[in-house]
Amino acid sequence: MASRSVIRSAQSSALSSSLKCSKLAAPASGSAAVVDQKRYASNFYTTDNTYKVPDFGHYLKKNKGDDASRVYSYFMIGSLGLLSAAGAKATVQDFLSNMSASADVLALAKVEVDLASIPEGKNVIIKWRGKPVFIRHRTSHEIDEANAVNVSSLRDPQEDSDRVKKPEWLIMLGVCTHLGCVPIGESGEFGGWFCPCHGSHYDISGRIRKGPAPLNLEIPEYEFSSEDKLTIG
Amino acid sequence: MAISTVIYNTFFRRNSIFVGTVLFGAFAFEIGFDSTIDKFWDARNSGKQWKDIKYKYVEKDDEE
Repeated sequence: MASRSVIRSAQSSALSSSLKCSKLAAPASGSAAVVDQKRYASNFYTTDNTYKVPDFGHYLKKNKGDDASRVYSYFMIGSLGLLSAAGAKATVQDFLSNMSASADVLALAKVEVDLASIPEGKNVIIKWRGKPVFIRHRTSHEIDEANAVNVSSLRDPQEDSDRVKKPEWLIMLGVCTHLGCVPIGESGEFGGWFCPCHGSHYDISGRIRKGPAPLNLEIPEYEFSSEDKLTIG
Repeated sequence: MAISTVIYNTFFRRNSIFVGTVLFGAFAFEIGFDSTIDKFWDARNSGKQWKDIKYKYVEKDDEE
């Protein structure tokens, strides 16, 4: 700070001498420095100026005033944003679709069965998600038999009406609840299914009646999509 | 009025319209891009994909 004020005062004394109005030369205090600066500027322009500033107009754009250049800039910015947005969306989608079920799993997820081809009193075994599913078209006699059982006497108490949506159609997973063998239909002591591996007997509603199995045969999710079309899964 | 001024006033003057145009453009671009690449891929691999040879095996599939 001190050195600057010294320089200023030196300048001011030199300029004031050149202007020949030394009474304006003030001591180097705060306000006086501003006055010196003005005098320096006026001195510069009053002297005969031989320095010529070149004309830069040649370098200026011809269409400086119109919107073409900023439209170009905004278009480029917007295009970059567009591509980035599309790329980001595709990336996120790829990561998310990674988590959803693959096509081979979805193809196994549902099975449709035509019930019209199954006569009364017959079993049909279909494969669903790698497991057998028993479909039995029960006769009215078998329905009565299933309803006549005293539920409280069962190992896994369950009403027959809780196990079927339509009484004439019994749909259940054909996997023994003991160790996972496939029971044999229309056999066993209770007129239902019999597991040959360890001798579990299931009745006509698929409930465990005798043998080592702890639970009734499992009921998969299913619905009757129309009068004689069954969709499992 | 110059075309650039019209474009500027239509799309770039308001930021909401600018961003909206960019997002909508991304949506449209993706559809076009995907279908173009898919067409190119199918043309490049014609005769090799399952949908091209399915008719040879589809009856066998029904029997299973």
